[in-house]
Amino acid sequence: MKKRENQEKTTGRKRLIIPLIIVFFILGSFVFFIARRISTEMSQSAIGNLSESLELLKGTVEVLFQREAQYQKLIAEELAIIEDPEEFILSYDRNSTLVKMSLVFSGETEGISNTGEVFYPKELDFSSQERVEGIPISSSYINSMGTWAYTMKCPVTKNGREIAELYVEYIYDSFDKALPDRLYNGSATLYIMDGQTERFLLKPKGIGERDAGHLNLQDFYRANNILEESIQQSVAESMKQDGNMMFYHKIQNKDSLIYMWAVNDGSVYLIGYVPVESIQREGNAVNQNILIVVLVMLVAFFMCCAVFFFYERQQNKFRQEREAEREFHNQQLGEALQAAQVANSSKTTFLSNMSHDIRTPMNAILGFTTLLARDADNPIKVREYTKKLTASGQHLLSLINDVLDVSKIESGKAVLTIGEFRLNSVISSVDAIIRPAARDRGQSFEIQVTGIRHECLVGDETRLNQILINLLSNAVKYTQEGGNIWFRIFGLEQRSSQYEHIRIEVEDNGFGMTPEYLEVIFDAFTRAENSTTNKVQGTGLGMAITKNIVELMGGTIEVASEVNKGTIFTVDLELRISEQEEDAKFWKNHGVTRILAVDDDGDVCEGIQALMEDTEACVDVRLSGEEAVRAVETTLEAQAPYDLVLLDWRMPGLNGIETARRIREVMGERILILLLTAYDWDEIDAEALAAGIDGFLAKPFFVSALKEKILELKTRGEEQAWAGGALTLEGQHFLVVEDNEINSEILEELLDIEGADCEVVVNGELAVERFAKANPSEFDAILMDVQMPVMNGYEATKRIRAMEREDAAIIPIIAMTANAFAEDVKDAINAGMNAHVAKPVDMEMLKRTIKDLQKRG
Amino acid sequence: MKGYFKKRLVLFLTGVLLVGMTACGKKDEGMVNLVEDDIQEKKVVNMFGPMEKSSPEADNVARSSHELTVIMAEEELGLSVEYRTYTAETYKDKTYDDVTLARARSDMDDVYLLNPDTIQILGSEGKLVDLSCLESSANLRDVVRVSNTVDGKLVAIPQEVVVYGLFVNQDMFEDYHLELPNTPEEFLECCRVFKENGIETPVGANRWWLENFVFALAYADLYNGENTEAEIAALNNGEAKYSDYMREGFEFVKTLIDMGYVDAERAYTYEAIEGEGPDFREQKTPIVMAYWGAANADIAYGKPEFNLQVIGFPSHRGQMPVVSMSGYGVCANAEHLEDTLAVMDIILSDEALQVYAETNKVISPSKNVEVECIDALKPLNDLVNDGVYVLGSNASMKLEQWGNTCVVVRELLNGASVEECLEEMDRLQEGTLGE
Repeated sequence: MKKRENQEKTTGRKRLIIPLIIVFFILGSFVFFIARRISTEMSQSAIGNLSESLELLKGTVEVLFQREAQYQKLIAEELAIIEDPEEFILSYDRNSTLVKMSLVFSGETEGISNTGEVFYPKELDFSSQERVEGIPISSSYINSMGTWAYTMKCPVTKNGREIAELYVEYIYDSFDKALPDRLYNGSATLYIMDGQTERFLLKPKGIGERDAGHLNLQDFYRANNILEESIQQSVAESMKQDGNMMFYHKIQNKDSLIYMWAVNDGSVYLIGYVPVESIQREGNAVNQNILIVVLVMLVAFFMCCAVFFFYERQQNKFRQEREAEREFHNQQLGEALQAAQVANSSKTTFLSNMSHDIRTPMNAILGFTTLLARDADNPIKVREYTKKLTASGQHLLSLINDVLDVSKIESGKAVLTIGEFRLNSVISSVDAIIRPAARDRGQSFEIQVTGIRHECLVGDETRLNQILINLLSNAVKYTQEGGNIWFRIFGLEQRSSQYEHIRIEVEDNGFGMTPEYLEVIFDAFTRAENSTTNKVQGTGLGMAITKNIVELMGGTIEVASEVNKGTIFTVDLELRISEQEEDAKFWKNHGVTRILAVDDDGDVCEGIQALMEDTEACVDVRLSGEEAVRAVETTLEAQAPYDLVLLDWRMPGLNGIETARRIREVMGERILILLLTAYDWDEIDAEALAAGIDGFLAKPFFVSALKEKILELKTRGEEQAWAGGALTLEGQHFLVVEDNEINSEILEELLDIEGADCEVVVNGELAVERFAKANPSEFDAILMDVQMPVMNGYEATKRIRAMEREDAAIIPIIAMTANAFAEDVKDAINAGMNAHVAKPVDMEMLKRTIKDLQKRG
Repeated sequence: MKGYFKKRLVLFLTGVLLVGMTACGKKDEGMVNLVEDDIQEKKVVNMFGPMEKSSPEADNVARSSHELTVIMAEEELGLSVEYRTYTAETYKDKTYDDVTLARARSDMDDVYLLNPDTIQILGSEGKLVDLSCLESSANLRDVVRVSNTVDGKLVAIPQEVVVYGLFVNQDMFEDYHLELPNTPEEFLECCRVFKENGIETPVGANRWWLENFVFALAYADLYNGENTEAEIAALNNGEAKYSDYMREGFEFVKTLIDMGYVDAERAYTYEAIEGEGPDFREQKTPIVMAYWGAANADIAYGKPEFNLQVIGFPSHRGQMPVVSMSGYGVCANAEHLEDTLAVMDIILSDEALQVYAETNKVISPSKNVEVECIDALKPLNDLVNDGVYVLGSNASMKLEQWGNTCVVVRELLNGASVEECLEEMDRLQEGTLGE
């Protein structure tokens, strides 16, 4: 359709262009014809003008000749009547025209001149027979003054008889003043040429006038490159007939008009040239103006065309843009509709699944509650039912948490809580959760950490934990009993010195996944397998959450899987390296400056040395227990004993426990011995302690883990004391602010179990009133719900903190709310609360929080 | 976008309208006389000089250089220099010198370009102004001042020091394994070899410049010896004869004529360069004589297709350049004397002479102006710089040298014997003593 429109447009333009060209052609021809006609007419007119000018000049020169002749006749008449003509001649003074006057009496060959010289008439050439006013005129010659001259001969007659001849010499220079100085504004040249000898008698003056071409006609031809014989022939013929001549020729590369004008019947000629452009100035000016007008009109026309086409093009562009926009909107609307339909369908499916998943534990809860009511007197069954109730409750809670997480991430409200953390602590916490689960299913769980250069990093530790636990718990879930799970962390090449680039791999040899499921594994609200047929319990949202968190962290996650062979998840992350300086004095302060690492695997030894490189402690390595014992003995003798020994458990020859025993024999209690193992140490705990091992350190080795262990060992006594009797709420009195009666009842009971009591108010306003009336130190803390009628928890906290009571500012206020996101924690702190404990209430967590706050004072 | 475009269009159209209205507008000038008044008398200086006869295509560097200096004067003084020219069409016509003398005596022009003989003649007749009054005259080299001083008056000043030399085709000399000649004997030997090898006329000559051979042989000792002033004094008071000095020179030229090394018949009719020049340029003649500037000028021997060298004339003292002075003389009764002297002061100033010398690559008459010469002229330039030269014209000699010797040599070309020529020289010397 569009193509056809374009074709039509192009054809339309072509149809427009052809008549335009024709019109232009006709107009152009017309203008050309007019210009040419003007040019021709002006040229003819210019030639006419030039001819008239030359005629005028000719007339002037001829008049000069005639006047001279007439004057000479008058003198001759005068001479005829005076008594002493010789005296008259001698008394004559020359002037600028008449320079010499001579008289030769009839019958004599010489005469006298006014100059006093003897005059010889034979020296003059009158052979040309040229006459002026009837008296002969000689050929031109250079006179005694060194200038071109001519002489006219006039008879002196007395009484009808010729008694003498009067010779008067005139110079051509006298014509100079009568001729125009600047013919055609000085662009024309003008010579006077002798008709007989063809010599130039009067020439232009000024700079450049000494150039060639001023000598005679041939020199003129040569200098001006007029070499065509036909022209020279025509000129010669014209001169024979004493005629005028005018012709075009190039002179000094300019089209010029050359003229030769016969004066006094060809005795002399006016000769010269004028550039055509000079005589056609008016014509050229008219043509130039016509050209300018035409050009201006053309420019105006083309500008109009340009404006028209530009406007049309703009309109087309706007139209196309509007169409494109409309299409885009339609497409967007279509996509939105499709997405809405998909979302609707997904949500319907999801709700169906959720309904199932929620109903299942709820069914268990309600069922066991019924059973609990029935078997309330049987403690064994009560314990069993409560255990199962707890499990169902936990599952229901995790389901709700996942749903909330997904919805939050999807809506873009999720934010990372950035803080410093140690990779070691992440791995330890993950290990603590996953290893028991794997052990329960008889699965092996191996952790490998290689190439990590910095273990203290900056990021959201909780979210990272969440990623790892999701991946690893899935691995445990979807791997058959007795299967293998590998958890690997690699340090990749750093892209920036400020970031640690790590790769996390979680691999199993479990059930694997179909390619179809792999395509949707990370989709939210989508499950590859209907949960009704799924043997494994779960919300089906874990991977969507995981992917979203990874992307939130700027990382990538990939999965490869094959049914019945296993699955591998690969997560690439870049985490900023912490700028916090290590405690450089740690090792010295804790008396650990020499360490012996013992492992039959050389790579492990090298890894330990590499990680400890930046510390003040010196690390020696040995590859067997025997070597280790020898090394301990040697250093002891050298009075430079080791302060700490890291022993691998399983080694050929002496194993770790045996080696520890030998070392204790040598060193006694002066040395710390830690067993480094990737295995669960519960089974060897007793044996190891008996052998003198101070503690266990999980592989892989981390410096921070070692430091923590050292700290733990050094402060074990205090910890035990604190952990033993301190975590109790015995005798404390709390103000509980909770609008939900069941929740407040449960909390009351739980606190009662802990030996504490509480007073419950049902909204914030009442809480504020109650606290205002309370005696100082009446309450040890306030446990504040957030969402309540009348006044919420934040507002109530602000009011309490604003009171002028001394304890208003310091009484611990702990938020207890189902709003469990990081932003909720922030809001609580901003409102003036001291801590946040999420519902459902974990009493251990609550106790630890209260104690911690009280300890801080 | 549309608004922007419209604004631009309106502005453009308004501009076009304004331009159109301005162009069509007519200023009301009231009543004025529309006839251009060109009667106002313009200041002119009439200069008489020779006219070009060579090819119009060729670039005459010397004249171009001169015109550059004249333009300087015209621009500075607000006048125009008008040229009146003459050049003999054939040898039968009056010579340029004849016409110059006639015109100067008739006070026809304001300033003349004069040859050495006419300088001396007109100077001694009192027809030329003493140019010592010009500021620029203070910068002249001594050789220029001496050559142009007649009766204690500096009557002419040139724009270049004219040095004559032999222009030789070095390629042809090398073809015949000939060294460049230093002495008359070596020169004759070279001519013999050329002649025997089919070079019809080894020496291209014209009716003006053969006299340089005579000067070189006559005055090599006089000008390069210890007693120059005394010898000139002896010549001036008749104790010594010019003919004695010139005998060897005339005999040498006669030998050249007799041996056919110079074509006397043609030389007698040839104008300078115009006659013998074409054969030299076409490498038919290996030797010609000419002035310094001819080596630079396209109209003469500039940019030849062979290796050109300019050397001195042969003498017993080795190669000898002949220095001759032409110069500008101002008519004592000039119609525009004041303006003429002003023009002279400018065209002979150091600034103008620098322009002239740089354009024309010649030796400047001003001691303050030095320019590098072309390679071909270096042999001649070295000699002049070493003070090795003879003068072809010397106003301190009572007998005018340049013109008279030229006329006598022309007689030699016309068939006169050496003795007749020397007798003529004696007669001329006696004439000067009589005066």
